[in-house]
Amino acid sequence: MPIHDQGYRRYGGDKTRGGTGWIVITRAGIRTFFAKRAFLGLLLVSWFPFFVRAVQIYAATNLPQAAFLAPTPETFRQFLDQQQIFVFFVTVYVGAGLIANDRRANALQIYLSKPLTRAEYVFGKLAILMAFLALVTWLPAIVLLIVQISFAGNFTFFKNNIFLFPAITVFSFVQVTMVATAMLALSSLSKSSRYVGILYAAVIFFTQAIYGVLYAVTRSTSLSWISFSANLSQIGDVIFRQPLKYDTPWPVSLMMIAGLIVISGVILERRVRGVEVVA
Amino acid sequence: MTQPARPAEGAPGLLSSAGRVFDLSLGQMLWSRRSVFLGVLLGGPVLLASALRIAATLYASGLKINGVQAGGSAIFGMMIWLLYLRFIVPVLGVFYGTSLIADEVDDKTITYLFTRPIPRSAVLLGKYFAYLVCTVLLVLPSVMLVFFLVVPTGQGAIAGAFPSLVADLGMLAIGLAAYGAVFALVGTTLRRPLVLGLVFAFGWEPAVLLFPGYLKRLTVAYYLQALVRHEMPQDSAVSMLMQVFREVPTVSTSLLCLAVIVGLTLWLAGRAVEEREYVLEQ
Repeated sequence: MPIHDQGYRRYGGDKTRGGTGWIVITRAGIRTFFAKRAFLGLLLVSWFPFFVRAVQIYAATNLPQAAFLAPTPETFRQFLDQQQIFVFFVTVYVGAGLIANDRRANALQIYLSKPLTRAEYVFGKLAILMAFLALVTWLPAIVLLIVQISFAGNFTFFKNNIFLFPAITVFSFVQVTMVATAMLALSSLSKSSRYVGILYAAVIFFTQAIYGVLYAVTRSTSLSWISFSANLSQIGDVIFRQPLKYDTPWPVSLMMIAGLIVISGVILERRVRGVEVVA
Repeated sequence: MTQPARPAEGAPGLLSSAGRVFDLSLGQMLWSRRSVFLGVLLGGPVLLASALRIAATLYASGLKINGVQAGGSAIFGMMIWLLYLRFIVPVLGVFYGTSLIADEVDDKTITYLFTRPIPRSAVLLGKYFAYLVCTVLLVLPSVMLVFFLVVPTGQGAIAGAFPSLVADLGMLAIGLAAYGAVFALVGTTLRRPLVLGLVFAFGWEPAVLLFPGYLKRLTVAYYLQALVRHEMPQDSAVSMLMQVFREVPTVSTSLLCLAVIVGLTLWLAGRAVEEREYVLEQ
């Protein structure tokens, strides 16, 4: 058997641009979830409020008797508020296992042995969750705005409330970023996605319950900063130019949200690490 | 397809097998990391109660609700409603109930249990009783501490409120049993039980309780809330709406229905475990 040249040969293929590894993770993750029927069902159910609102807008623009249903900026704020429960379920469904399952299967080492940085890995995972959350918050709200324009047949409402497009976008981004980073950080803390899901539910509902007790005792809403849902609601009201629901100053609520994102980032930085082999 | 193992001649019966699984599982549950976490979670109400007690001690006027001095029993009742009944009991039920069998499947250790000469449903039953003992051991001390910290504030009397504490402890134990059984069924029949469990506990139950009619009878909370002696708090618009549509079944009806829920769901879960083929991921 002839032995051919065994000398080193340079790689002749194309080099992928650096910093794009996360796209592969995101694409694969999104495809995985779209293949699940139960998840598609959840997405469909989460669009139900959109259909109800669309009917409301249709009735308000076409039936004089239903003029009292005419949309206002508050309608869009309320719509995003109503989507919170779906945000919770989508977050648990998609996010709980994002890093936990990789840790369970020891796949983190395999990921990080590829030309992929830790930041790209985290960003790829984050983008999966953010994409799905945007599908139940930003997208239906924007489509609702378009539906209003098309049913009304004019741009009057849109022009009068020109801030709605940036408001929907900014609020959805704040909400999605807070929720996604918190869930991803929790997911990096455990190998069990069930445990992560419960941890997330505890963070959301327990802080709300504690605030509920404090409100019931003091009858003051100034302690609403304890609840992450209340903080989000407060920031939402500021962005949509609505009267504030709580006495907590909105910068405090914003600081709590920013604090949660920063803490989540620190947790991710510490937990998402490959195995260091020391000679 | 593998057939369920048939108990050999002279093999232990359902209850004694369940007893052995109970022995094994209780130690595992009590000293697991998740119990430590749940202990920390249950420490939350205790911390809150301590803070309220300190506040009541520091301010001579005590804690006020709508300008009126709040009694310790009223605050304790609020904490039972908002923290334990609406949050901790369902969460513990979802967490432990759904993982009774699912954890063994995830860890690929279900094979070791199913190859023993015991009925498969004994595994579920033993684990369920271990869950019940473990959660009761976690929840009841927390409630007791909260009671002794909060009730004496605002000139409340511990002796006078003690019968209500006993009723609360019983109600919480029944709640843990009912939610645990329901979620054990969910955990044995579904591949991804957590999401459905959370949808039931935090989506279906609070939503349906707001509607008039019969739908609320398809919840555990409807029967459990009838056992609460404290007044429902008016902490939000949702709570007020709930109060408006609130129908309270009699205590005996509630107890009977909860017993039926526990019995039926455990039986169905046992059947599911007996008949289902669990495929372990490679």
